[in-house]
Amino acid sequence: MQKGEMYVGWSTKEEVRKRGGSGGLVTSMLAAALEKKLVDAVVVLKKINEFEAVPIITSDVNEVLNSAGSLHSVPSHFAKLIANRNLKVALPAKGCDVRGIIEQGKRNAINLDNTFIVGLNCGGSMHPVVTREMLEVMYKIKPEDVHGEEIEKGKLIFETKDGKEHAITIDELEEKGFGRRESCRYCTIKVPNNSDIACGNWGVTGDLVGKATFVEINSEKGAKLLQNAIDAGYVQVQKPDDKGIAMRGKIKGVMEELGKKWKGKIFVPIETGRLEYFRKELEHCIDCGACKTVCPTCSCGDISKCTQYHSRGDAYKMSMYHLVRFLHLADACIGCGQCSDVCPVDIPLTRLYRRFANPVQEQLKYEPGMDMQKPPYFEVKLNE
Amino acid sequence: MTDNVYSTICPGCNFGCGLYIRENGALEVDFRKSSPANAGKLCRFGMSLPKIFAPIRPMVDGKETTLEEAAKEAAKRISASKGSVGFLSLGNTTSEELLAIQKIAESSLYTGMVAGLPEDTYQTLNIGIPYSEIEAAKHIVLFMDPYEQYPLIVRRLLFAKNKGAKISAVWWKDLPLADENIRPLDVSKLALSKDSLIIADYNPLSDTEQVKSVLALAKNAGARITFLKPFANSTGAYLMAKGIKQKSISQLVEDINNGAIKTLFCLESDPSALFPSETLAKLSNLIIQAGQQPSSKANIVIANEPLYKKKGTLINNEGRAQSLGCAGTDGLDALGIIAGAKFDFDTLNESVKKAIGITTVDEFTIPKYDRPAYGAIQASIKSLDTKTALVSVYNPFMWSGLADDNDFVELNQRSVQALKLMKGATVKISSNGSAIEKKFRVAPVQDNILLAGKRFGIEKGIITPVELSR
Repeated sequence: MQKGEMYVGWSTKEEVRKRGGSGGLVTSMLAAALEKKLVDAVVVLKKINEFEAVPIITSDVNEVLNSAGSLHSVPSHFAKLIANRNLKVALPAKGCDVRGIIEQGKRNAINLDNTFIVGLNCGGSMHPVVTREMLEVMYKIKPEDVHGEEIEKGKLIFETKDGKEHAITIDELEEKGFGRRESCRYCTIKVPNNSDIACGNWGVTGDLVGKATFVEINSEKGAKLLQNAIDAGYVQVQKPDDKGIAMRGKIKGVMEELGKKWKGKIFVPIETGRLEYFRKELEHCIDCGACKTVCPTCSCGDISKCTQYHSRGDAYKMSMYHLVRFLHLADACIGCGQCSDVCPVDIPLTRLYRRFANPVQEQLKYEPGMDMQKPPYFEVKLNE
Repeated sequence: MTDNVYSTICPGCNFGCGLYIRENGALEVDFRKSSPANAGKLCRFGMSLPKIFAPIRPMVDGKETTLEEAAKEAAKRISASKGSVGFLSLGNTTSEELLAIQKIAESSLYTGMVAGLPEDTYQTLNIGIPYSEIEAAKHIVLFMDPYEQYPLIVRRLLFAKNKGAKISAVWWKDLPLADENIRPLDVSKLALSKDSLIIADYNPLSDTEQVKSVLALAKNAGARITFLKPFANSTGAYLMAKGIKQKSISQLVEDINNGAIKTLFCLESDPSALFPSETLAKLSNLIIQAGQQPSSKANIVIANEPLYKKKGTLINNEGRAQSLGCAGTDGLDALGIIAGAKFDFDTLNESVKKAIGITTVDEFTIPKYDRPAYGAIQASIKSLDTKTALVSVYNPFMWSGLADDNDFVELNQRSVQALKLMKGATVKISSNGSAIEKKFRVAPVQDNILLAGKRFGIEKGIITPVELSR
């Protein structure tokens, strides 16, 4: 096995196939990595219910095998979870997780040589509180009655405990203010080729639809991870058909185009009053620091420029904390949306950071978290 | 290796914010985005929880011991001081523990209730309305600073505002989210209607006349009113103690000062935030049972598990019952040693559910509560009988002894210019012969008012007459 190869695979364990999404390949690959001591620990989502799961780091193979499948309403992020822990670890990762992990790697907070990143195709995630409201308002079903969920052909489908399926197009949901988190709408990393191995259901055809995962190997580590799972008897694979490969490329292309359209829609240029725009957006800030704590590319710790230059006793119209973070994130923001998620006064922080990051990253031709390219601000060259 | 992750509720106030505490060598806060009260969001206090949950040790007279020995010694001293023992419980623990302490305290239970308020207002004071009703309100009137006191209410207010609500603030400084800012002494300018919703703060140090005046305003206008409260289970404390004889903090201070109470047992309640130190010094025995380090120096510390490891039920401002999903019952067991009889968690849990009128604890469903009308209230608003005053604004850091970065006062630009204060320098604040120097922040505060989110030791209640100089 080597970089660039593609497969379609599934778990050999019936229970995992039933519980996990798309044939349970990812779960089985992680469990095999742990059992065969390729890694010391694995990150999994411990499911509480359809709208809640808590990420844990575990060395217990059974815990991995019993972990949650795909949960679109659990917008967690794993980069900070494994940072500064010096672990030999394998973990599932959405595109934004992968980008955060790579950026932590550049900042020496994660040893990427010891980190096996299983990328998951991702069309976007939803906030659980918004999802609950959406179920009652749009689907007219009680959240407690939901048994499972799926995104297929542009529709968000919920299955209820009575076996019925309830589908509404994502476009319609998002028009009404529901659906995916804002940052997911304009994200263009739908197949995480920046991971060691990219997995998802796009490209699975025929009888295997819903029962298998399409896999693309992106690195030697990815090849090792998959080969280990096959050798351990956890996973079976076969070559994908041409139709599947073409279909996967088409879906990826459509999703990326949609992301670009959303980007244009959200980031309408601010022609005048730019300073006032930012000042107004930030005026409710309560100095909790959650946006920094959760930020998957920040590795400064408690003592950092944004906190050291800032005092609650200052009366500046815009705090130094935010000004420093705007600057720091201009080349580092990956647009994951975590800061907006956790802001207690609902400041659309990701949108504000992207207002700086979009032009800077475009001009410097730098996409953080996509490869090991050094962040431009790490090394500033002055023109004489 | 498997991470220990605890799903819990923030003890900073009664908002009911859900979160995870992760034991990862050091403690870490993790965001529980599915939590209905806060959608995973936390304020500055919530983000500081790893500091507040620093481990504490059981102690007797300064010597380290076991939890059991500390509880036994406490039982011995309580028994020896019979007739002069007070039990203080503000509501910073589970409803099950609150029921247990009632059984021990009998008629000597002191709670966070404020003396001098009509009994028919208790339900209104103690059980708030669902946050969704705040979001749906047409006119919201704030008698508090949401940013400093209950920050998680800000997003609910902004939601209402974005839907067209008008927000009036009756406060000492202009609030960014308010459409109308009225100073507390100009409250007669406030226009209320049946569409108005008043939001105020109710805590053990609230001024009786001030509380009565907002209740009277709501009553006279036919407006709705809701109060936000300061402890993790303030609402539960009220519901569990309904019909039980209880006394106020001011009564406790009086009882300690006149020698009627010589031994004080505090359940998850730190008295140093409430009493003058000279009052505490009069006690023969201060016994504190807590899961976090008290700032008061106690004779006995019964160190039980922190809140995030406890098993039990909390009830938030809205009346929403929330289950602490952990297994710890050390606190309840220690109370059993003091009572001389073991408390059974399941029996107490059933009593809690019965008191709320529910059969299962479901955080996504708010039980129905009676909201009885209260009678007419006479309130006398005091005028500010001083030229300059320091106003102490409650915030969650004040109750917990946790270091905070509120070490400054706010005053307006006119005052800064009149006093010729220099940027980056301090203002000298004098009161009754005591003087302190504090950094200041320029803010749109009322003339001649200093606002502080921290107690500096010179306060005489909420409003302290002061003199300022450079």
